[in-house]
Amino acid sequence: MNSKKKHAWLTSNQMILVYIIAVFSLIVGIRQPAFWDFATVLNTMRAAIFTMCFALCEMIVIISGGIDVSFPAIGCVAMYVPMYIINRVAPIDNAWFAFGLAVLIGLAFGLLNGFLVAILNLPPLIATLATSSIASGGVVTILGTREFTVLPSSLQAIYNTNLITYTSPKTGFQYVLNVLVLVPIIVCLLIAWMLKYTMLGRGLYVIGGNKTAARVAGFNVKKLQFAAYVWSGVFVGVAAMIYNILMHSATTSALMGDEMITIAACVIGGVRITGGHGGVGGVVLSVILITLVQNNLNMLGIPTSWQRFVVGIVLLLGTIITSWQTKRSMKMSQA
Amino acid sequence: MKKKTASKKLNDHIKVLILMMVFVLILMAVLKGPVYYSVNNFRSMIFQFPEYGVLSFGMMVCMIAGGIDLSLVGIMNLGGVVCALLIKNAGVPIPLACLASVAVGAGCGALNGLIIGSLDIPAMLVTLCGLEVYSGLALAITGGPAINGMSDSFKNIANGSIGSIPYVLFIFIGVLIVVAFIMKHTVFGHEVYFLGSNKQAARYSGINTLRTTILAHTMSGILGGISGIIITSHLNSAKSSNGSTYTLLSLLIVVLGGINPDGGGGTVAGVTFSIVLLQLIANAFTIMHAPDTLKTLVNGCLLVAALILDKVMQKRDMQKNS
Repeated sequence: MNSKKKHAWLTSNQMILVYIIAVFSLIVGIRQPAFWDFATVLNTMRAAIFTMCFALCEMIVIISGGIDVSFPAIGCVAMYVPMYIINRVAPIDNAWFAFGLAVLIGLAFGLLNGFLVAILNLPPLIATLATSSIASGGVVTILGTREFTVLPSSLQAIYNTNLITYTSPKTGFQYVLNVLVLVPIIVCLLIAWMLKYTMLGRGLYVIGGNKTAARVAGFNVKKLQFAAYVWSGVFVGVAAMIYNILMHSATTSALMGDEMITIAACVIGGVRITGGHGGVGGVVLSVILITLVQNNLNMLGIPTSWQRFVVGIVLLLGTIITSWQTKRSMKMSQA
Repeated sequence: MKKKTASKKLNDHIKVLILMMVFVLILMAVLKGPVYYSVNNFRSMIFQFPEYGVLSFGMMVCMIAGGIDLSLVGIMNLGGVVCALLIKNAGVPIPLACLASVAVGAGCGALNGLIIGSLDIPAMLVTLCGLEVYSGLALAITGGPAINGMSDSFKNIANGSIGSIPYVLFIFIGVLIVVAFIMKHTVFGHEVYFLGSNKQAARYSGINTLRTTILAHTMSGILGGISGIIITSHLNSAKSSNGSTYTLLSLLIVVLGGINPDGGGGTVAGVTFSIVLLQLIANAFTIMHAPDTLKTLVNGCLLVAALILDKVMQKRDMQKNS
């Protein structure tokens, strides 16, 4: 019994991800010894910030049995509008204002998603697609497409605050880790706690597993669905503002297309697309894996034009392995 | 009895679509009558809609089967790139190159269907990954820049016309007839409807669900390949990022056309009307010199409106029956 349990743990989704990460790192490390450097850790963390934030939004929605493809559009609006106001309407140089407005915009679109899905009972994929086109179409029609590349000094101050400054002894390059990396880390911990120990978290799993059963058991399904979509909107607002600060760029299309990789990250991390299953640990590992692959393909000598294809294949394989795992674990629990 | 209510509901839906068309036509007659109602304008409309019309039929088949095909745009571009490369670099005769594009589409679709059916992974997930794989492959083959400058006879597929009727209209009508025939009068078509309305029941009643899923996605892939030929010929250029808005557009068209997003319901006629309606609206926007993004906004609102309309009609039907 005990050995069987151990065996199950060794072949669990998380452990498989750990193996894949280890093998991939080994291959890259053998080809390029420069990979074995603390700088790789810093680079990976820095590149993973956005994917991690988006995955945290998407994860909650998928666990609740829905899906959200509107967050890239919401994020674009949430970073574009504050920057537009700061640059062209009134120079309000205040980080609280920028983040606050971004959160408010996210909240508004999150409420719209929640309304469409929970109250009107529309299919989540199509409802959020509609929200996406309303958000991106609306903001471009009203405000036009510009690119803001200069941050106001309050946001620039955040950009200049670094947590770690590391100078590589081999190359002499300086690597920095911005203080904003703490945001996804703290939120990860909070979400993990929330999903495990609060009624809200347990409720999200229950409505994702079986809506009717959840209603009969006394959960307020509509409220929980609203909570999931509103969270996704609000946090994507924050994430978009972080993107704006770190990338020094706010455009109306910067994040478009990210939904694909985010959903795949969740699924590879063990969040079942049908809802009701998954956790933060797996998602963190899969975000690390995807970021490693994206960052280090050129180290393996794969030309840039092939990278999208290779990432696509990795995602496809990851999805297949995960669903095969799901099937197996379902069989195991039945036996 | 059940059949009667089903056909009644269908008529209701098509009636609404026709009403909306009439509304657009009257509105345009008031606003920009002479420009809108000219032979030239109608010709330009006919040149535009077949490429995404054919694509929408692919989306329709998958959605009726209870899935969705988000990889269609990727298949379309991959097909287009293969076709353009064969004509330009290998000197393959045009019909053969077009056949190759269709074959590529069929292959991609079959792969989608195989993964979905055999492993029971939600279609949305597989085709989302598929979109990345197929567009990635198209990008890898071209290496980035678009392939331009095919021969004039290839360009004529989507830009030429007999008298004042464009060739593409005949292609579109041909596809329409074939798709309508398959969905309505073949065993496979009925199996697709059955699979979409209740997968479990379909399996127990002896339908080979794996085969039906693969065939449905293959059909969608073939339609993607055809529209790849049309768009490549129309733009006279093939690259991996053509027509990126068509995913949303084709989803909008099929939902507006009365296809049930959960599978099992909807008709080819509804989708056809919805294609024409969307083209009327798009053209109205062009004539009014409205920005493209406004069209995106309006399309999003229309999508929500169509879904709400469906819900309301369903409720009313249920109340009438009980």
